[in-house]
Parts: sequence; C-alpha cells; structure tokens
Amino acid sequence: MISFIKIYLEFFKIGAVTFGGGQAMLPILKHELVTNLHWIDMKDFLYFLSVSQVTPGPIAINMATFIGYSMRGFVGSLVATTGVASPSFIVILLIATVFKKFADSRIYKAFIKGVKPVIVVLLIGAIYLIIKGAFVGAIPFVLAAAAFAVFIKFKPNAFLFLIAMGVIGIFLIP
Amino acid sequence: MKKLAKLLKISGLFFYIGLFTLGGGYAMIPLMEEELVKKRHLFTMEEFYEMFAISQVTPGPIAINMATFIGYREGGVIGSVFATTGVMLPSIIIIIAISLYFKSFIKNPFVHKFFLGILTGVVAEISYITVDLWKRTKIDLFFWAVFLLSLAEVFLLKVNPIYTILIGGAIGIIYYGFIKKEQND
Repeated sequence: MISFIKIYLEFFKIGAVTFGGGQAMLPILKHELVTNLHWIDMKDFLYFLSVSQVTPGPIAINMATFIGYSMRGFVGSLVATTGVASPSFIVILLIATVFKKFADSRIYKAFIKGVKPVIVVLLIGAIYLIIKGAFVGAIPFVLAAAAFAVFIKFKPNAFLFLIAMGVIGIFLIP
Repeated sequence: MKKLAKLLKISGLFFYIGLFTLGGGYAMIPLMEEELVKKRHLFTMEEFYEMFAISQVTPGPIAINMATFIGYREGGVIGSVFATTGVMLPSIIIIIAISLYFKSFIKNPFVHKFFLGILTGVVAEISYITVDLWKRTKIDLFFWAVFLLSLAEVFLLKVNPIYTILIGGAIGIIYYGFIKKEQND
C-alpha cells in the first residue's frame, strides 16, 4: 500500500511544475502516475480525464481527487488534492507577503519565456496521449476533426460541447 | 466572531465559484470578477488583473492561485486557507460521489461510449487551445528552438515532461537572463 506521504509528495511535485492550465498538466500526470509509478492504469486515467472535464472545478483538483481516492479512499483524495494545491499556496503566499516583485523579476520572466514553448509541446502531448490511449479505428478521428471545426467556427460552451460529443459517441462509436 | 463570519463568507463565496464553473480553472475567472469586483467591490479591476497576471505565471492550478491570493488579501493566511478549501470542496465532494459508483456504471457499454465521445471532444478542445495559444504568442527563433527541442525530448527521447519544463525554463534564464541581457524587450 502506498503511503500518504508518498502520495502527498508526488502530487506536490506535479503541482509545482504545472504551468498554463490543467490540460498542459496531463502528460506530466500520465508520465508520473501511469508510466513511472503504475499507481493507476491508462484505462482509468482516461476515464478520470473525461469525467474531470465535465464536472465542476479545476481539472487538476478533479484528477487529484479521483486518483487519490482510487488509491487510498477518502483520505487519499484529500492528501492528493492538498498536495497538488500546496505549491500554489506557498508560492502565492510568498509573493503576497515577502517577494512582492518576484513574478516581475527579470530572471523569473526569462524562466517563463523558456517554459512557454514547452507548454505548447505538453498540449500536443496531451492530444497524443488521448488519441493513442482511446482512439480505435477511423470514427473517433472523424469525430474529433469535425468537433475541432465546430469549435473553431462557433466557440461553443465547453461543457455543453463535451456532453454533446459524449451523446454523439453513444450513437456513432462502434 | 466577526472574523470567523468573514472567513466563512469567503469560503462560501469560493465554494459557490467552484461549484458553478464547468470547464476548468480558467472558466472561473469571469465569475470571480463578477462576484469580487463588480458585485462586492472587494477589489478594483486593476488589483484583480494584477493577481490574475501573477496567478497565470506561477506554478499550480490557476483557481488555487487566485483563491490563495484573494483569501490572503481578505483575511491573511487563514483567509487563504478558507478560500482555497472553499474552491476545492465542490470538486472533492462531486468526484468522491462519482468514484463510489464509478466501477459499476463504467461497465455499461453506453457509458463507455459516452466517455469515448467526450474524449474526442477533449482532443478537439485541446487542439483549439493549442492553436489559439500559438496564434497569441510571439513566435521568434528562441521559441522555435525551445519548441523543437522539447518536442524531441517528449516524443523521441521520452524525457520526463517535468524535466522538459525545467530545461525550457533553464534555457530561458540563460538566454534572456544572461546572453540577451543588454537588450530591453
């Protein structure tokens, strides 16, 4: 059984390197928790991912709750969410109290300039891992391409859009 | 007592924000602005966007960063504990409730296909976010260099994405912090 401290530290680490929203975090989560540690399998990872996108709240917190719960139940989920939120908490409190100009400093700005291209790569990585893990045959590709066109053209509400894709999936995915 | 009431109010407000935003942390920003700036006048627009700008470039989920910031300004460290707890609680409650029944209803083939359908939508959504980010970014030689290097790291060399981020950041510090130091941007 994996200890609570290990769960906390792992999610702390993930929270500390999450830049640019929950989607960019997905390759990190997958690499750490599925590939390296085998804490959950890819099938559950993808299920958790799809549920996390259509339930309220930050995707990172939803994923942490899911994974923490699947490993160590209720307490596990609290430990994982606290872990993933801790770096935010510490960094923002430091900025709000002592290092007011930290985010404005030249060195930190230079760091962020170097991280930005990586975020684009991680988003591509997120697309790749879903396709590799969940797409079988041509139909999901056709659906995703059509959905992408709809997204570009109409910029729909993301929640309603994803639910609609789910319903379409029931009828069209073999 | 007055302080506790204030803390509970912050917590409740963030609980409300956490509960009624679908689509991740970024989707919370308009609702936060509505509740905190327009309705309650706790912050000016300028203060709010300053916190948002910092939350975007610091590590961690943006909703947690914002909640910590706003909670601190409203009630110190305890205030940020209450605010972040408030914003996370709806997620935690809902996901645990789903987890309780997850294993049984995922066996249903219709549910399975429903989730696969959602994933095709998620691929479309992330593609859109990627294209949008690309369009909004100034793509110079430095960007291309780090982008291609990171691409090779993640897809060819299978480097842990955590290191990819740190390597990108380190290159940024070396280039913009030391090499291109003289020029203003």
